[in-house]
Amino acid sequence: MVSIIGTGIIPFGRHLERSIVSMAIEATRRALDDAAITRDQIGACYFANALGSSLFGDTTLGQNLTSAMGMVDLPVVNVENACTSGSTAFYLARNAILAGECDIALVVGSEKMCVPDFGLINSGATELDTLLGMVTPAGFALRAKRHMHEFGTTPEQLAAVTVKSRQHASLNPIAQFTKPETTESVLASPMIVDPFTRPQCCPIADGAAALILAGDRVAAQMDRAIAIRSAVLTSGRYENPADLTRWHTDYASVALAYEKAGTTPEDVDIVECHDAFSIAEILHYEALGLCERGEGGRFVERGDASLGGKVPVNVSGGLLSRGHPISATGVAQIVELVTQLRQEAGDRQVEDCNLGVAHCMGGDKKGDTKSCTVAVLSR
Amino acid sequence: MNDFSQIPPVYAGIFTADKPPSLIGGQCTSCGAHHFPKPDICPDCLSEVRGADFGQSATIYSVTTVRTRAPLGLPSPYSVALVDLEDVPCRIFALMDPEQAGSFSIGQRVSLHVAPIGVNNEQKACLRPYFSADK
Repeated sequence: MVSIIGTGIIPFGRHLERSIVSMAIEATRRALDDAAITRDQIGACYFANALGSSLFGDTTLGQNLTSAMGMVDLPVVNVENACTSGSTAFYLARNAILAGECDIALVVGSEKMCVPDFGLINSGATELDTLLGMVTPAGFALRAKRHMHEFGTTPEQLAAVTVKSRQHASLNPIAQFTKPETTESVLASPMIVDPFTRPQCCPIADGAAALILAGDRVAAQMDRAIAIRSAVLTSGRYENPADLTRWHTDYASVALAYEKAGTTPEDVDIVECHDAFSIAEILHYEALGLCERGEGGRFVERGDASLGGKVPVNVSGGLLSRGHPISATGVAQIVELVTQLRQEAGDRQVEDCNLGVAHCMGGDKKGDTKSCTVAVLSR
Repeated sequence: MNDFSQIPPVYAGIFTADKPPSLIGGQCTSCGAHHFPKPDICPDCLSEVRGADFGQSATIYSVTTVRTRAPLGLPSPYSVALVDLEDVPCRIFALMDPEQAGSFSIGQRVSLHVAPIGVNNEQKACLRPYFSADK
């Protein structure tokens, strides 16, 4: 078993004066302090950054972090896996410890996106779909339109995801958007891609988050350690025709993660999932088994995904309110779950919080996703 | 009809210059599976794939309209869809007729056209295939 023994995160938002590495340094220092270990105890570093090479021409930044922190003679792995870059780094670090390659590993995700003319992200500049006008929000919007067509999901139910997200974010000191929204205010906002108004699309952000992972020998001495029951990473199957009301990979990854953890949806107390757009969270409720297929809109409208509801989802505010610095997101989700499972979440603490699921998804390909990660954590 | 022969396609080998144009996809020479765009080899069985006429008719499976800043010099707003091709069992991503943006609905029948729309990654004008509502 591998456990998480330290977490560090900086508030997500616009950090115009900060570099990718400077944000990573701060998150790493916080994680080291939280774990109460020294830099010399780190046996490997998995560093996630998705956009540094395309936006700034920067590559292999992980070694810039370890060098800046005086961490020497380490295996350092730089990870790019779209929106799952950070959670893929986490997956790899856990595997390294399971393989006996090291006792303690550092996972960092750091991203800088707030630059002029950032525009919309896509899934590869030379891919045919991108060249024909596929932008990330459109991919999710096509899913929303089909879900509405097949299951009667309403604009109000989509808006309920954002309303809940802002309610949760108001309780999180490091969330970016904490101003309350109502169904009416969400639906009256500017339309970005039908049927998503602006508050239904996650904002870009700068930010960094870090985790310290350790094997049993080390974790046994830590009274705030949180166990990783399973962590999976999968690509898709890309069958034709694609069913836009479900990602094959979403269901496959979740089933594998539950199986490996020896758990079921009924055991889940809290979820952090990839709510890049309102419909995404609704589809993930269904894939995670929190409700039946097609029922996701009604699930959120009833308050079942809210703090105090059946299974609170994205109590941190999620991508929609926290912001989505691509490769920091997957790490930040786990930071939130660890905080909750340690019962240290303050005003947003989920009651009887014993088992949590972190779920992240990245890239779009042939009506499915390029990458999906799911991790099951417990006290 | 306009002569677009001097304007490069946005992506090589995905449509014919016929009037009306046809989509060109790939069909596996071994298992017969259809793929779009034509892949190097068949992802189902790793055999050779030959170019195949995928026709020009389709039905909309899902459709949306992008109302924020458009990439690649595309008109704003513009609609995109997943369409089910009529001649082969293939559901593909498609750009929709800019002049009809916002007017499409699921289940509607559409036909292929080709015209200069927007630019390519080199910022040069290019031909894009798109689907229009049948009259």
